[in-house]
Amino acid sequence: MTGPASAVFVVDDDPSVRRAIKRLVESVGLHVEIFGSAQEFPQAKRPDVPSCLILDIRLRGASGLDFQRQLVEAGIYVPVIFITAHGDIPMSVQAMKAGAIEFLTKPFRDQDLLDAIQVALKRDRARREQEAEIAVLQERYESLTPREREVVAMVVAGMLNKQIAAELGTAENTIKVHRSRAMEKMQAQSLADLVKMIERLQTPLTKSA
Amino acid sequence: MISASAAFAGSYNYLQVVLSALIAVSASYAALDLAGRVTAASGWVRSVWLTGGAVAMGVGIWSMHFVAMLAFSLPVPVSYNWPTALAALLTGIISSAFALYVVSRQKMGGERAFAGGVVMGGGIAGLHYIGMDAMRMAAVCRFDLRIVILSVVLAIVFSLAALILSFGLREETRGTLSRKIASAIVMGAAISVMHYTGMASATFIASPAVPDLSYAVSISPLANHGIAVVAFLILGAAIVTSAADRRLAAQAQELERRVIERTKQLIASNEELRKEIADRERAQDALQEAHAELAHITRALAMGELVGSIAHEVNQPLTGVVANGNFALRELASGTPNREKLREAIAEIVEDGTRASAVISRIRTLLKKGAPNRVELDINDVIEEAAILVRNEAARDRVHVQLNLAAGLHCMLGDRVQLQQVLINLIMNGIEAMRTVTDRPRKLSIQSVKHADGVLIQIQDSGIGFDPDLVDRIFEPFFTTKAQGIGMGLSISRSIVESHGGRLWAGSGPNGALFQFILPVPIGNGVS
Repeated sequence: MTGPASAVFVVDDDPSVRRAIKRLVESVGLHVEIFGSAQEFPQAKRPDVPSCLILDIRLRGASGLDFQRQLVEAGIYVPVIFITAHGDIPMSVQAMKAGAIEFLTKPFRDQDLLDAIQVALKRDRARREQEAEIAVLQERYESLTPREREVVAMVVAGMLNKQIAAELGTAENTIKVHRSRAMEKMQAQSLADLVKMIERLQTPLTKSA
Repeated sequence: MISASAAFAGSYNYLQVVLSALIAVSASYAALDLAGRVTAASGWVRSVWLTGGAVAMGVGIWSMHFVAMLAFSLPVPVSYNWPTALAALLTGIISSAFALYVVSRQKMGGERAFAGGVVMGGGIAGLHYIGMDAMRMAAVCRFDLRIVILSVVLAIVFSLAALILSFGLREETRGTLSRKIASAIVMGAAISVMHYTGMASATFIASPAVPDLSYAVSISPLANHGIAVVAFLILGAAIVTSAADRRLAAQAQELERRVIERTKQLIASNEELRKEIADRERAQDALQEAHAELAHITRALAMGELVGSIAHEVNQPLTGVVANGNFALRELASGTPNREKLREAIAEIVEDGTRASAVISRIRTLLKKGAPNRVELDINDVIEEAAILVRNEAARDRVHVQLNLAAGLHCMLGDRVQLQQVLINLIMNGIEAMRTVTDRPRKLSIQSVKHADGVLIQIQDSGIGFDPDLVDRIFEPFFTTKAQGIGMGLSISRSIVESHGGRLWAGSGPNGALFQFILPVPIGNGVS
């Protein structure tokens, strides 16, 4: 049995509301998991697929906004759609600033919710793809020898083989060998390709450290 | 020409000489002492001191002179022409006055000192020779011009020295007494030397001519002593007066210093007091503002919380209803509806609908039954507190709030905050109803009176009133006549009053609205 292609999580302390949302979202063929409190969500074993979180702002204990922050701090990246029975403008501004997909006022139009879910899933899918690509690149990069990494760094910085050889105190031919081996391992078609790969590796590496 | 055979040999009575020297010293001391007083005084007091000082000094020098003259005895009887003697006295007084004037100035330059010395010396010398001129006897007096000049020069030099000494000693500090005495001795000796030099310049020659004895008096030894005694008395009086005055002046100065100091302290403490009053006023203003803000916030919060809570409580089931309804529509549209799921969804719609209606009734009963904070309270206190809380609002709209509270009301059980909310609500309504009133005073009167059912509280405004047809509707929830009202105030107020076992009603007349409510007092506390 294969898992779902995507998942929608609902956190709302009102059982009637979360059941209704589950029923509605499931009717468009999506997998839905519901949680009665903010504490249950991070502890649950969730499918590792593109997903989004429908979150009530007014929760018992921590507020939805606080919870959103806690998720980011815990490194759980999931697009959030806020729903609220009594929201105001400052609250919605804060939520959107913190990266929420949408801020819906209860009772909301079903289409608004479903549209927001589609946007959120699409975004999460894209993020996951990017992460996967970077993971592949990372794997390839890690297969390089230390010397090859050194050479790659210099190549990317725009140095010529001759200069690299002088810098490292070896023959230009040796550098050429290192370089072609590195290109091969990284599966780079051209120098421009290699530069792009290294850039992509560097950006998220510094970000999510 | 001096004829040796005719010249008298005069002789001195040395006791008298010593006496004259003592008078000279005393006069000098008095002069030094008085110089200080003249300097210290100002205005007419200064003139008095100058005059008195000059008289004392003049008399001193004059009597010294006559005592000295009388110390000199001639073999012929000598009498004195008293007007001339008086002129000598006047000369002494005037020159003394001048000398005192010179030394009591702020500055005494060389020229001034010299002029003073010349005048004083000249005066003393004049006194001497005028005094000698007063002698009436059977003899003629011849003078040796050189010794006369010497005596005048000595008089001037000694006077100059005396002036400088006086000027130096006029500042009255400790330690000046001994210097003063020393100076007085020097000056007295100088005067004596001058006198006896002057006497030495004269030679008396017997004359057969009968002396002109008109206005002449002869001075007996007793009178001579009298002169000395009177001189001492006058000088002593001058010194004592001067000392007393100095003492008094010092006391006056001390008193003045104390007065100034005390005045300073008073000014300082007055200033401090004023500052404290200002601080207190500021604090009171701040407190008043805080009160007003609190009243406002309390109301806003109560309303906001209530509205928020209603919205939340009602929107939750509505969300379920809408979501389930949408699901049902989608299922039905799909062509192959899942009947079981549809049934579940519809059942939940019904459930949520029931829940929403329960929320509404719960809010209504929330205020009715909730009796969490019933305490014994005096309704007059509550009214006064509420009036304080809305004081700022009333002042802003220039509304005069008048309290007529009955004395001796019984305590009742109630929720202080809720009752305050009712009062604030009714007062604020009254204030708002008077906002457009310009043709009559904006007056809001609140009174409490004993009533058969407990305590009756009346709130009467002079505002625009309300349509009598609406008298029952105004207590309905969400009914409002105000542009920005939400229509909950009166409804909540009525709920609160009813939850206290009382009743709230209203009436409207041409001159504003009257809201009144009755709160029961516990049995046993009831009015008689």
